[in-house]
Amino acid sequence: MKFEQPIPGENFTSDTRNMPWHRPPDINEYDDAIGYFIGKLEEPEQQELTFAMLGIEAQITTIVSAVLLQGIRVGKVSIDLAILIAGPLARFIEIQAMGVGMKYDMGIDASDRVMITPTILRAALGVVTDTPVESPELEEETPEEATPEMMQGLMSMPSPQAGAVASTDEQQAMLGGMEEPAEEEV
Amino acid sequence: MNFEEAIKKSIKSFMSGKLPEKLREVQEQDFYYTPEYFDLLEEDLDEDSEPSAAKKKEDMPDEV
Repeated sequence: MKFEQPIPGENFTSDTRNMPWHRPPDINEYDDAIGYFIGKLEEPEQQELTFAMLGIEAQITTIVSAVLLQGIRVGKVSIDLAILIAGPLARFIEIQAMGVGMKYDMGIDASDRVMITPTILRAALGVVTDTPVESPELEEETPEEATPEMMQGLMSMPSPQAGAVASTDEQQAMLGGMEEPAEEEV
Repeated sequence: MNFEEAIKKSIKSFMSGKLPEKLREVQEQDFYYTPEYFDLLEEDLDEDSEPSAAKKKEDMPDEV
């Protein structure tokens, strides 16, 4: 469950008439939007900022996000279109960085890449073997056998063997039926 | 998925040569800014940088 998100209907709790991202965006077309942002990225001030960010080893994805969020904030493009045009803008910044010979990091991790296993490698090389190749086996986790104690419900009566039942005297004391000791006569 | 993750996914998709096909169908026209466009732009940049370096050598005064 996620808690770091708005409560449904939270947007109705504030006056949204003056927020640009709640009005129709200025640019709707894919190519127009890319053209607009490329124009912005070519401005000398923005170029300085881009190269300065690359200089402090900021990833290109971060720069693209910042530029696009700025465009969304002023109502130039919708969020959906901003996400769609992120690729071309990243490529443009990459070309700009290459043009001035700056090192850059795209910021795209390869976490969803296919893991190379012996089977995939054999298939790729076209090697067919009859004998299965032994691969290191992982320890299989066997589930614990269910004991009668584990099968009991939360409100069920505990079994006497478990030692969880209080003695008769203790039960009497809990119920208030314990005889008080007789007071000593003076 | 937050905005940053969506941006990364979009960039990764574009870098692998994919374009928003559904959007193209809706717009009923081909995109101008395609991966091929940026490849050509990169090539142009390389070509522009090489002659300029050569030109600089030519412009240099001869050693006396």
